[in-house]
Formats: sequence, structure tokens, C-alpha cells
Amino acid sequence: MKMKKFIAVCSIAGMLAAAVTGCGSGSTDSKDSSASEWDSSNDITVVSREDGSGTRGAFIELFGVQEEVDGDKVDMTTEGAQITNSTSVMLTTVAGDEYAIGYVSLGSLDETVKAVKIDGAEATAENIKSGTYKVSRPFNIATKEDLDNEVAEDFINFIMSEEGQKVVSDNGYIPVDDVKAFEGTQPSGKAVIGGSSSIAPVMEKLAEAYKEVNPNAELELQTSDSTTGMTSAVDGSYDIGMASRELKDEELSQGLKATVIATDGIAVIVNKGNPTEDMSTEQVKSIYTGEALSWDEVTE
Amino acid sequence: MKSKAWTEKFMQGVFFIAACASVLAVALICVFLFANGVPAMKEIGFVEFITGKMWKPNNDLYGIFPMIIGSLYVTAGAIVFGVPIGILTSVFMAMYCPKAIYKPLKAATELLAGIPSVVYGFFGLVVLVPWIREFGRTLKQAGITDSSGNGSGILTASLLLGMMILPTIIGTTESAIRAVPEHYYEGALALGATHERSIFTIVIPAAKSGVIAGIVLGIGRAVGETMAVIMVAGNQTWIPESLLKGVRTLTANIVIEMGYATGLHREALIATGVVLFVFILIINFSVALLKRRSEHE
Amino acid sequence: MSNRITMGEKMKTYLKHPGSLILMLLVMLAAVLTFIVLLFLIAYILINGVPHIKPSLFSLHYTSENASLMPALINTIIMTLLSLLVAVPFGIFSAIFLVEYAGRGNRFIGVIRLTTETLSGIPSIVYGLFGMLFFVNTLEWGFSLLAGAFTLAIMILPLIMRTTEEALKAVPDTYREGSFGVGAGKLRTVFRIVLPSAIPGILAGVILAVGRIVGETAALIYTAGTVAKVPSSVMGSGRTLAVHMYNLSSEGLYMDQAYATAVVLLVLVVGINTLSSVVARKLTKA
Repeated sequence: MKMKKFIAVCSIAGMLAAAVTGCGSGSTDSKDSSASEWDSSNDITVVSREDGSGTRGAFIELFGVQEEVDGDKVDMTTEGAQITNSTSVMLTTVAGDEYAIGYVSLGSLDETVKAVKIDGAEATAENIKSGTYKVSRPFNIATKEDLDNEVAEDFINFIMSEEGQKVVSDNGYIPVDDVKAFEGTQPSGKAVIGGSSSIAPVMEKLAEAYKEVNPNAELELQTSDSTTGMTSAVDGSYDIGMASRELKDEELSQGLKATVIATDGIAVIVNKGNPTEDMSTEQVKSIYTGEALSWDEVTE
Repeated sequence: MKSKAWTEKFMQGVFFIAACASVLAVALICVFLFANGVPAMKEIGFVEFITGKMWKPNNDLYGIFPMIIGSLYVTAGAIVFGVPIGILTSVFMAMYCPKAIYKPLKAATELLAGIPSVVYGFFGLVVLVPWIREFGRTLKQAGITDSSGNGSGILTASLLLGMMILPTIIGTTESAIRAVPEHYYEGALALGATHERSIFTIVIPAAKSGVIAGIVLGIGRAVGETMAVIMVAGNQTWIPESLLKGVRTLTANIVIEMGYATGLHREALIATGVVLFVFILIINFSVALLKRRSEHE
Repeated sequence: MSNRITMGEKMKTYLKHPGSLILMLLVMLAAVLTFIVLLFLIAYILINGVPHIKPSLFSLHYTSENASLMPALINTIIMTLLSLLVAVPFGIFSAIFLVEYAGRGNRFIGVIRLTTETLSGIPSIVYGLFGMLFFVNTLEWGFSLLAGAFTLAIMILPLIMRTTEEALKAVPDTYREGSFGVGAGKLRTVFRIVLPSAIPGILAGVILAVGRIVGETAALIYTAGTVAKVPSSVMGSGRTLAVHMYNLSSEGLYMDQAYATAVVLLVLVVGINTLSSVVARKLTKA
């Protein structure tokens, strides 16, 4: 698909160029290398998220890439791992490189890449709920304990209601159990929600669903990241902060109250041309710590 | 008559104040960046901050040496690709281009300046990265390099940045060439020089200061480019061993981690910005010095 | 290529001067290469974006179902106007000061020139950091269009100064002398004679500046914020088209809309360029 597009671009550009300059140099090379064979001796392209990202934090913890040295948690991710701060770059890189491995939120997974089974379990909402697929993390919202904003409170009640959790599960995330139907108080006013870009897409849907129930309220959504979400919730610039990880002790001690609104799975993804279907936690760890450098070292 | 003189004086004052705005802006930027960045440098230790090879904010290791090297490599690469092609293209635009195709070409270069860097980034990711990846793997199979890299790295970033600085260089260089009085060129022709000889030995030297300004602007853009570089450079915090390996630039370091940073980490990132700023200052001062020297000769 | 009549003669001279021939070929090669790259890029954007342009993208409100770019487009226009409003007068006035008032060898000129060159070299991410520290935090404007516009204004100031300066310098001294000769004062000469003939050059600078504003991301995410709405005042947060694109693409859910946004951005830039060249032509004729 990508290759086709690329060739199309290539030839159009070539033709245009030839037409414009008038000297026929239209022989842009259109080599077709997509048919190359799988060769497991090639270097693995390890793709990771940036330090501090909620996705990375959950990933290294669950796969044991994070080790404790003298009481400090040390991220052992290999120096050679390519770092990106964007899900789409992660997807595009893995989709385009046969030897790449990466990880994304289950909600962002698409058909351009292949999610591998971890210890035999497929990355699906059911498996996460039943506990067979272990790579998941909570979506948290945090508010100050003395929050004084009716709209924000009503909105949180909405998120934690049957209606709200339906939105969560409709978008591929795992909802929270034991919720009741929503009874809104229809307050009017404004609430600012901000934080993790992983939660933002589902929060956007939640905010829209809420507006239908309560048109009086105005919700402003700022997309940044988990840490900014928490610090801004503390200093009051956000009424509700979003964090795609557990809250740190220092954040809780500053008077934040966390609520889990959903659970998100993390899918380990490889290229579609990669024959690997199933990986063990150990294997993923060995790639991310840099022990295994090529695919044949992993599959052994 | 008197009121007119007064207006003259008044407006002269207005012009002067306006001219001071840029000085004020630089002063403000200096003050705020240094005030926020220098304490972090002190806390980390200036030498350790600049020459440290380990960047692990979670373990309080803040060494930006790999990023400095990364920015240098990538910028140098961009100059290698972008400057010669940019200058030659502007010569084409100013001295060769038939009138009929000049307008669309000019419009196209202006258009390029307006494309957001994110677009360049995706272009690099989808088109350039696979190219370089294949190139690297072919080299590895041929036994020329030990490691193929994965397409994202110095070479890719340099190529992309080279493309991105083209419009800047072409724009300024072309107008500088056009600003050279016609009779310089005609005089050279009359003395029997060929078209090319007149251009390259008379016109371009006469346009030198504009050409240099264009190159400096281009370098500035290459050093400072962020969004596109993040997508194609790999962003590893190591000192790369080959052109195919990934690097992280100073700018990428700031954008990638700014969102998560708190406390000292955040200040260290602002300090990274300070280092970047000092870089630009050094470039500009050395260019100013060069200019002064060449003017004195 | 440019002149077929003298082709034969040209070939002869080139054969006599192989150095010239090589230079000519190099120039041609570079030009062809540049324009292939240009067309490649433009074609890439069009192929990926045009199929996804739908009327719904231009609806007034952004929702997660319909990632409309209209609010971002309006924000971009507001942002551009605000920044130009601040930067253009300052830029033109200071260029006038440099060219028309400050005498040659004036120490102050050196200082200003150095600072403008410094400004033009500062990376946009540093502007972003500065904007965040100064406008957003110190002046307590919060993430707002105004903070973004001022940050951008500083960013484009050197560009406008530089181009205006070049344009003013390019006005022949005979114009000024003529004006003085008929008894006009300095101010009158500057505003009636020099400035009008420099307008095409100044406009070119403004176009470049608009291009930078429209394409800027790094300086804006830390100053203007990322809210996908048109704010009710300039003190509200809003994202421009480029930031909109950045946000759409970073989660990977709206890539099609991101490319469509890129096409709209291109069209916008083309529009601005044509408009200003029309204006420039009108002005120079008048």
C-alpha cells in the first residue's frame, strides 16, 4: 500500500519535473524492494516511547525492563532503541520496517501492523479483563480533594456511570465494573480537563457524550501529557487531570485524588512481514534490554 | 514650519524606539532563558552538563554531550546537502531561468517555506527512511559497514534538513544576486568573460554578504528544526558511530521530554535551550567578525 | 535551453571554456534536483491529502467524530493578523531608522544588526520556551492566542526588518535627491517616495513571515496551547492549523485528516502568495 503510493508519487513527480524543465530526466528509479525475503539475521529495529511517557512507564514495568539497582528504579531500555514521542511515528516505523518492534495503546492499534501474542494470550479487551493478557495500565483522572467545581464533579459522575463506561468500551478500552445509571444535576459552568495524550481521544468522546446530557456545561480539553496533567491539577489550572499511569506518591501527597476510569492494554507490535506470532515476556525483555540484537537471537 | 520640524524629530524618535525593539527582545530572551537555565547547570555542574555522555533524567544523570554532537552532525549534513544545491539553484533562478517558467518555480519555492515541518517529517518517515534503510542493509550485505542502522539517523535527518533549508537559502541568495547592479555583469561580459565566468567571479562575490546571510539563516533553521527531525533521527541519546546510526539533537531533546519533566529535569531542558541559544550566538558573532574583517580588507 | 537561436554559438563558447560548461551543468543539475524534490513533496501531500478533503472538514465545530479544521483555520488567521499587527510596524520603522536615519558607521547600527541576526537565528523551540517563561508564566497570560502571537511577532521581526531594509536600500538615491530637490522634508520623502517604491520588497518579507507563522508548531505548543476551538477572546487558548496537524498526527488516529489539513495549508499559502503579488502589482502601478 505504502509502496504503491510512493511509486505513484515518484512517477508523478518525475513526469511533472520532466514537463517543467523540458529536458526529459524522467527516469526516477522505481526499484521494488518490498518483495525482499525475511532474513532473521538482520538487526532488530527497537522502537520505544520517550522517557516519562505513561505508555513507556507501564511497558518497562510489566516486562521487567525496569530493574532495581540500589533501591533506585533504573530503566534498562537499550541505548540503541529508537525513541519517538508519537504513536503514529511508532506505527509508521513498524509498518514500514520488517525487522521493527514497538508498542502502542490498544486503542490506537490498527491493521497496518501485527500485534503479537504475549505468553500465548492475544491482546484483546476480554483477555485483559480476565487477566490472561497482563500488559495493561490504568487510565486515571485526578482531582484536588477540595475540588469546587460542580461541572467537573457532575462530569466525573457521568464518566463513572453506565452511560460513560459504555463510551469507554465502545472505543476499545476496558470499562470499570459496578457502575450505576447517570443522574445528572445539570450544573452550568466551565471545567478544564487536561493531561495524557493517550487518554485524550476517549476523554474527547466522553466530553461529547456528556454535552448531550448536559448542554449547560462547557468542557475545555487540553492535550499534553500525564505529568503536566498532574502538576496542572495541583496548581489548579486544570480541574481534572488525566494520567495514563499510576499516580506517584509525591503527586498524591500534594492533595490529588485519583480515580481509575478505564483500563488500557498495551499491544506489542511487529511488522506484518514478520513471521513471529507469539513471544514470551522474557523474549520481549531481551530485545528491549539490548541482549538480543537480531531476530534469530530472539527465536532461539 | 516649526511643527513640521517637530514631527520630523518625533518620528525619528519613533523609528529609533522601533529599532530598539529587537535589542529589547534579545535582552529579554537572554534574561529569561539564563535565569531559568543557569541554576540547573550549576546544580548539575556545568562541565558535567556539557560533557556528560549519559542522559538519564530518572537517575539524575544529565549529560547533553551526545545531543550537542547530534546537533552538530545533523547541521553539518544539512549544509553539505542544502547549501551548494541551494546556491546553484538560486543562480539558476536569477541568471538562467526562462521567463515563462520563472513564476511557477518561484511560487513553488515560496510554497515550500510555508509547509509545516510536521509534513516534512512524515514525508521523511514514509519516503526517505525506507530508502536509507535499504541503502544501509545493502551496505551491510556488501560488508562495507558492520551495522545497517534502521533508516532513521544522521544521514536521513541531514537529507531532510537539507531539503528544508533550500527555500531559505534560495530566497535570500536569489534576491542578493538580483541586487547586484546589472552593469557588473555586463561589464564582465564586455571584457569577454563567459556567462558563467561573469556570474561566478563577479556577480556572486558582489552578492557575498547576502549569500552568507542566507547560509546563516539556513544553518539557523537546521540547528533549530525540531518536529521533522524528531521523526527521522531516531533520537537515541548516544554518540553515534556511523552516519546510519540515530542521533538526538538538542531541539529534539527539549520537545520529547518537556511534557514529562518536572523540577530539575525541566530546568535541565531549559538549560538545553540555553546551550542551543549560545550556539546560535557563537555562529552569529563569528559571522559578524568574518564580515567585519572582509570589509576592512 | 533558454535561447535557441544562439544555441550553436553558445555551444562553441562552452567548448572553448570547459570550466564554464561544467558550471553551467552544475547549475542546471542543482535546479533540476531542487525542483524534482519540490514537486515530489507537493505531489506527496496532494496524493495523501486530496482524497480526504470533505465538506465536513469545514464545519464550524470540532468533534472527535469529525476532526474539523475550521476552528484551527480561523485561529491561524487570527494568529497571523495579530502577529503581523505587532511585528510589521516595528519591523518597517526600525528598517527605516537603519537605512534612512542612522548615519553610516553609527555604532548603534552594528548592535541592532547583530541582535536582529541573533533573533533570526534563534530556533523556534527556544522562542517557544521563552514565550512560555515570559508571556505565559511571568505575564500570566496563560496559554493564549495573544501569548502565541507575541512570541511569533518576535520571531518574524528580524525577517521583516531584513527584507524591508534590503528593499529600502534598493531604492535609488536619485529618488531621494529628487524629492529633497523639490523641497520635501525627510519624513515626507520617506513615506511618499521611498516606502512606496519599496513595497514589493516589503511584501515579499511579509509573505515569508506569514509562511513561517502558518507553518509554526514548536513555538506555539508551549504558548498558544492545543484547544481545538475558536476561543472567545485573544486570551483564550487555540491551535493553529500546523498545531492541529501535529496533534492529529501524534496519536495516529486521524492521519487522513492530518494530510487533508496539510493540503488546506498549502492552498492557504498559495492564496496568500497570489493575493500579495496582486496587491504588489497594483501598488507599484499606482
